[in-house]
Amino acid sequence: MAHIHLEDGSFTLFWILVWWIIALCLIGIALFLLRSKYKPDPKKITIAAFVTAAAFAIFQVQVPIAGGVHMNLTPLIGILTGPVIGTLIVFIVNILSAAIGHGGWGLVGANVLVNFSEVLVAWLVFKGMKKITTDLFTRSGVATFAGLFAGNLAMIAVILVSGIQGVHQTTTQILAGLSLLAAINMGVAIIEALLTGLIVAYVGKIRPDILEGDRK
Amino acid sequence: MSVFIERKGLVIFGAILIVVLIAALAAYQMTGSMGIEDRYNTAVGLPVLQQEEGGTFFGFSAEGNPVLYLIVLCVLIIVCFVAYRYFRI
Repeated sequence: MAHIHLEDGSFTLFWILVWWIIALCLIGIALFLLRSKYKPDPKKITIAAFVTAAAFAIFQVQVPIAGGVHMNLTPLIGILTGPVIGTLIVFIVNILSAAIGHGGWGLVGANVLVNFSEVLVAWLVFKGMKKITTDLFTRSGVATFAGLFAGNLAMIAVILVSGIQGVHQTTTQILAGLSLLAAINMGVAIIEALLTGLIVAYVGKIRPDILEGDRK
Repeated sequence: MSVFIERKGLVIFGAILIVVLIAALAAYQMTGSMGIEDRYNTAVGLPVLQQEEGGTFFGFSAEGNPVLYLIVLCVLIIVCFVAYRYFRI
């Protein structure tokens, strides 16, 4: 849910390039791993295609809560496909979003990093929670909260490190403003956690093989 | 006690949900209702721009430009056709 929703020109060219280069490095590593170590089977590619379409579609809908919020299903991407394929999915979703005018092209790199943190943390927590409970709804719900919390932290960090062009607020003031925004975002995470929990529980009930084994 | 252990995961989920809900409601009380762009601009100190009101469906609305949706769809169809026709992907 933590998408940096600022116009192009908010970051300096230097920071746009920095976040893009880091994002491209991540994508390069993901592609290398997919070609060498973690070759995906056709079933996984099909799941990846479905979650990409679902994440893109839901990301374009502004939900009328607190004046307008988004969901993006990044934790579901992490749970169903893992962080390697998930990195490519969030890149595609962000590119397509920028192409239709939702978010700036310059912020795609930063947003890929933010969304990657959501995918990675959700995947790690979903796997880690297996020691505490086997209930899929609970595991995916908690993983969603953790993933989206990490995404909000990443979003705040990226904005604070980059700075915003043309504003006179201090770092403390921006941090305070972004903290409130993150709290609202986490409110939306409740809906996303329930939704993700229900989807994963349903998938686990009708197609447990999709959730079995180590997802890469 | 055994019920608690069995439902430990659900208790954790419920506790997180309550904490998050309280924090979100408190933040909403402080900031009030505003669109996502306005919320970001206000948070970082950028001027709040006047947004053109588009069509909504029960308050739900689509982001982006509808013309760009069509262009992107056409480009994707062409790319998929070429990929399938010439590369058999």
